[in-house]
Amino acid sequence: MVSPTPSYKSTLQRAMSRGQLLTRPAQLVPYEADGLGYKRYPVELVAIPADVEELQSLLKVLKETNAPFVIRGAGTSLSGGPVAAQGGIIIHLSKLRKIEEINPRDRFALVQSGVVLNELEAALEPHGLYYPPDPSSGLSCTLGGNVATNAGGIHCFRYGVTGNYILGLEAILLDGSIVQFGGPAGGRGDWREDWKRLFVGSEGTLGVFTRFWLRLIARPEKVWTFRAMYPDINSASEAIRQLARHPSYPAAIEFMDPRSIDMVENSPMSVGLPRNAYMILTEIDGPPELVDARVGPIAQLLRNCGSDDVSYSDQANQRQALWKARKAQGGLLGQVSPDFVVQDAVIPKSRLNEILNFIYEKADAAGIAVTTIMHAGDGNLHPDFLFDQNKPGELEKVEQIGKELMKKVSEIGGTLSGEHGIGNDKAAYMASHLGPLGQAIQMAIPRPFNTRSQLNPMKVFPERRYA
Amino acid sequence: MSGATIEALELKSQMDDPLRACVHCGLCLEVCPTYKLTGEEGNSPRGRLHLWRSIDEKRLPEDDDTDFYTSECVGCLACESVCPANVPYAHLLEKERLRQYERGRSKTDWKVRLAGRAVKQPSLFNLALTPARLLRRSNLLPHPMLFPGKPPVMESSAAYAKRLMAQKQPDGPTVALLTGCLMEALFREINFATIRVLIENNVRVLIPDSQGCCGAFHEHTGMPGTDKLFENNRTAFRGINVDRVVTNSAGCGLALSKALQNKPKVQDIFGFLGELGPKQRPRQEGTQKVYVDLPCHLVHGQKVEGIPPNVLNATGYDWELAPCAKDCCGSGGVYNIQKPENAREILKRKSDFLNHLPSGVQPILATANHVCMMQWHTARAFIKSPFQVKHIIQLLDPAL
Repeated sequence: MVSPTPSYKSTLQRAMSRGQLLTRPAQLVPYEADGLGYKRYPVELVAIPADVEELQSLLKVLKETNAPFVIRGAGTSLSGGPVAAQGGIIIHLSKLRKIEEINPRDRFALVQSGVVLNELEAALEPHGLYYPPDPSSGLSCTLGGNVATNAGGIHCFRYGVTGNYILGLEAILLDGSIVQFGGPAGGRGDWREDWKRLFVGSEGTLGVFTRFWLRLIARPEKVWTFRAMYPDINSASEAIRQLARHPSYPAAIEFMDPRSIDMVENSPMSVGLPRNAYMILTEIDGPPELVDARVGPIAQLLRNCGSDDVSYSDQANQRQALWKARKAQGGLLGQVSPDFVVQDAVIPKSRLNEILNFIYEKADAAGIAVTTIMHAGDGNLHPDFLFDQNKPGELEKVEQIGKELMKKVSEIGGTLSGEHGIGNDKAAYMASHLGPLGQAIQMAIPRPFNTRSQLNPMKVFPERRYA
Repeated sequence: MSGATIEALELKSQMDDPLRACVHCGLCLEVCPTYKLTGEEGNSPRGRLHLWRSIDEKRLPEDDDTDFYTSECVGCLACESVCPANVPYAHLLEKERLRQYERGRSKTDWKVRLAGRAVKQPSLFNLALTPARLLRRSNLLPHPMLFPGKPPVMESSAAYAKRLMAQKQPDGPTVALLTGCLMEALFREINFATIRVLIENNVRVLIPDSQGCCGAFHEHTGMPGTDKLFENNRTAFRGINVDRVVTNSAGCGLALSKALQNKPKVQDIFGFLGELGPKQRPRQEGTQKVYVDLPCHLVHGQKVEGIPPNVLNATGYDWELAPCAKDCCGSGGVYNIQKPENAREILKRKSDFLNHLPSGVQPILATANHVCMMQWHTARAFIKSPFQVKHIIQLLDPAL
């Protein structure tokens, strides 16, 4: 463990005149975890720079502090990303929340990295513009975190993930210099390589994001939501397969397993869904005359695959009702269990049945409750393992299942994370997933930017420690 | 906890320990006025829950900083409206503040403590504030929070209701009205307007003499005594036969609904009038426009969607919801007295739209809680053009 230089607090104080430095226990404790609440890492200091200029002067002196540091947006990540895994400093970008420009003519927005996703959404709406990535933490999560994890959401089957909407980005490197990759026109900007693609999804290991130029598209004029219940996994899988290749190109294809449905139905959020059933939710959007014509065929497709319980609507409140069980699922985990882990694997869609059975088998054998949802169009699976860290052995069991699941996912050609990022939670699986060559290459990439791993150590690869 | 299903039983057992119900998702951050003000995690609902849990688990000692973050909360409960895990935040906040108070860690100042004791004796409180009513009526009580009004000085709301009932003899549904402490003692004209509107709509209005303070003041500050106040109101309101108990202050309505637990049902005056379909006031021609602000304890506390549109249409005014109508104005019961700087900044951001209205518009800011009205009245310090603050019931008042 590296020790910060004794005078590092006063060094930081010198660099910041307008922002805040938090140093006392009660100020720091709330920063010890992200959305993965049960994993806590003590932090020694939190800096909240008042603006981009102050952030830059802070970064200029950070090398002198000899302390590891981590950048944090809203801390909604589910992978143990914006936490001080190796101790040290957290830089909280809660004040960098200016939407600097919305340009309807050229269809881009220039935003600071601490801008909250829903706030951007609200600012775009009057212009009829749309920024599609929509992780379910949109109410609070920041664009900086979205870019760091290359976040997705329920509509990314059709619209793609955050990386598809980054025209350019500005970042501060570890020596305090500001770099810009791409810009309002997209492309590479002044650089030979398309560096912005490298920075998207880099999980805070290359530099500190300050601004993004975001690509905007026209807001869909009309949306239809469909919900279909299936008696078995095979018919639900068939519906996923057929929807994914349907010419209407659905914006979203979501899946919920019977255990998730049971959890919702046993709760005050019950919506009257049948038990022992699998749920498929899908949405189509576009010009009214086009999507209205596709409603019949989609409803028929859902029935042909084996559902005799298909509901659909284009009315906002009814669409909300169709989504209700799915939207309630995540929060309910907290009501049924003191702690939980959400996995984020991506699997070939045709292997859903096999993986689901694998999850049930392992979890049941270990006596661990599990509920599973899936962004089915993308094969992005979220099994939620419920446990109580105060019960001896439960966490270990969950970690063991996670390990076996990730091994299985790798074997069938899947990946470890679809949208949450690796953070430190999934870092343990990287070595076996990538193999020695893959790991060596991936660990080499951040080195020119982050030579001693002072920035966000122990993330993505546990071996990447600041030393 | 194994097997194919997750039993409902476990849902209940988790709720026995609500401090652990927070999933740490952070969805509450952006609706929290103090997080948006400071950008500090500790000043958010998730941060505060984490602090309280850390204290409970003995990982963090109680100190001035933990007290500070607990005291910083406005208590608007917007976090409850977005919480996917249904964390009973209000309950935890009240418990924490009470605990602080009982341990002598509360920083509540003597004036607030004195007021907390005084409101427990409504008749004495009313008597003591008689000169204040008189001065306010004559516009001789200058205070940044005292919006203009002409409160009746001597006649009580109860006496007025009896008098008007005898005169008009309504024969529709019967309601009991909570007249409140500060509302009756200082802003009695709002109670009188409420009685007039109800009776005009053929509603029989009873005002139980034995009713007392609802307890909201004590919940906000952590002062002990709510149990006794709740019990007193249970006795007062359960002893009469009414269709509803109605309240004209969202904060008091929330506290009373907790006390009565639906026996009988407590309803905000506007929800009740919305169901009845209130009498229409004449159309107000002219440049006045009503901006409706929704009290936090109505929408986030009582979980009511808002003020029914038929009620707002019945005022005869052009109206629209104020921007960010569901966001806190910074009042928070006595928060604007205890944390004036925060309260001022929260209101400054929220009220800024009044500086950008089309020219010629004469705005009326209307809400449904007298404490919010007091807070809005202080916005005169940073709103360039004049505006009025009204209770929505005053816009429906037949005496207008």
